[in-house]
Amino acid sequence: MSGNTPHMNRAVGLFSQGLVSVLAIAVLAIAATLLGLALWPDRLAAQSAPALTNDQIEILYSEPNASYFRPIYERYKKRQVLEQLKEFLSPLVLPPGITLRITAKECGAVNSWWSGRASGLFLCYEWPDFAERVAPLDITGDGVTREGAVLGAFLQVTFHELGHAMFDIYEIPVFGREEDAADQMAGFILSQFGRGVARRTLPGAAYLWQQLGNSDGPWRRDAFSDEHGHPLQRAYNYLCMAYGADPETFRHYVDDGLLPKDRAPNCAREFRQIRAAFVQTMLPHIDPVKLRLVQSRNDWLMPEGSEPIPK
Amino acid sequence: MRHILFALACVAFGVGGALTPAAAQELQNSQVEIAYVEPANATYRPIYERLRARQVLEELRFFLAPLRLPRKVLVTIDQCDAPDRAYRPGGPVTVCYEYVQQLRELAAKIPADSKTQRGVSRGDAIVGAFVQVVLQRMSSAVFDILDIPLWGREQDAADKLAGFLMLQFGTPTARKLLNGAAYFFEASDRTWTGSDFSDTRGTEAQRFYNYLCIAYGEDRRTFSDFVESQGMGRRGEQRLDVLPEARAARCPKEYADLKWAFDSTIMPNVDQDLLEKVMARKDWLRADDGR
Repeated sequence: MSGNTPHMNRAVGLFSQGLVSVLAIAVLAIAATLLGLALWPDRLAAQSAPALTNDQIEILYSEPNASYFRPIYERYKKRQVLEQLKEFLSPLVLPPGITLRITAKECGAVNSWWSGRASGLFLCYEWPDFAERVAPLDITGDGVTREGAVLGAFLQVTFHELGHAMFDIYEIPVFGREEDAADQMAGFILSQFGRGVARRTLPGAAYLWQQLGNSDGPWRRDAFSDEHGHPLQRAYNYLCMAYGADPETFRHYVDDGLLPKDRAPNCAREFRQIRAAFVQTMLPHIDPVKLRLVQSRNDWLMPEGSEPIPK
Repeated sequence: MRHILFALACVAFGVGGALTPAAAQELQNSQVEIAYVEPANATYRPIYERLRARQVLEELRFFLAPLRLPRKVLVTIDQCDAPDRAYRPGGPVTVCYEYVQQLRELAAKIPADSKTQRGVSRGDAIVGAFVQVVLQRMSSAVFDILDIPLWGREQDAADKLAGFLMLQFGTPTARKLLNGAAYFFEASDRTWTGSDFSDTRGTEAQRFYNYLCIAYGEDRRTFSDFVESQGMGRRGEQRLDVLPEARAARCPKEYADLKWAFDSTIMPNVDQDLLEKVMARKDWLRADDGR
């Protein structure tokens, strides 16, 4: 499983150094949106990169009916969340005749989902609202910040649903449970931003599921029939991906007992499995030229540790 | 491929199933090496003797003949001094005597000459659970050796491939195997809390539903009694030994995705001529199997 060819390693390197830059922009843009902050200079928002376009990706902000969600809707539009996401996705080589539609909307439930090739990806205004309500008011004993919890929760669900979209559009073979596979896609992407972003997002992704899992009582057997894992399984999977991707940065997960010693030794291998799957099944669908263009826009990437610039 | 399962079932049922020398010589996978390791604990000696006499591993090697493996894999039955031993990359496929003992004990909860509400006999439980563990471990090895891209957790993927292979037996045998395999997980009384959920394997309840879902997804008519709406209790109470409708509705797509994964990644490594020859054998099971 771990036998990557030199070509694969170069390709992964490209992904790490190039696409990640764009991903980071999307992360920061979304973070800014969620927190009502501007995280990048105006010149960056004003800049556009015509080369990083993709006519097969369509975005739409759907106006919410409930006034409660109107501030989120306005912030999404103002911060151009979907435009940033579209740029991040622009290196994807979509099959002829396929359009990837991404719609931000009020859904009537805390959810987001891939609705198939015709309808596309729905990102619900309810989700960031929910993430803010679950997030800690102050930094937790485990080091999870409010910003990290909100950001991680939002990004994990966005990239989780994007994972479903990729599996469908590219007809990627999924031997395991697809819901876990989509979590792996999300965790893998979040781990590719570099240490700073991984530290800010992966603990937040795990935090959400920890909170949901710990608030549940024991499940009756039929609850386990759901195709999604138990929230605590999902939390441990995110912790394991973080530790597997970067044991040095996330060593405290093991030292502090967040990640049991029985699971931790397996995490590096689990992460290699995910990376190998990504390289074999996703990377062939990423345009290398656009990847290089993405690389050329490294100046977009905010320095790690940058403080938000109040508008 | 489907005959691998017949062979394994044969072993679990206690059938001799000896191959003719000619057939055994023609259809052997030289990349599969086998070993029965004599257990130090005398408790497991009857299991060792029985499995060895039944030539379980020889049958497995025979039926893996169509699978082109680029390197050798050792398959052993061994005392693990632990309830189970997962496959590790590069390392042998191991079925533990302890595990076989456990599945026999769980099967013994079903009274002799009786069946569960879902129709599982003691013999089905033994056969199904044994075939499941052998195929699940072998599936892990196949993923590793063939460098199959794996999305989702590896242990779940191995469960799904094992379930998929069980279905290749044809309806009557597939029902016995999948129903029996599901029973093994159904019968577990383990309660999961807290850090239990960090396990790389799914909960027994999840694995129970997954096996039923694979069957129902493949053939909704044949396995309609695996679903709640078809199997309400006599007093109309909710049953916990069948699939809830909400999950059942998704099973056909789950199965289609599983079949696509198999066809696109593993099938290219299967020799079709050898597969035909293996499939020509029909007499794998006997009436007294599993007693």
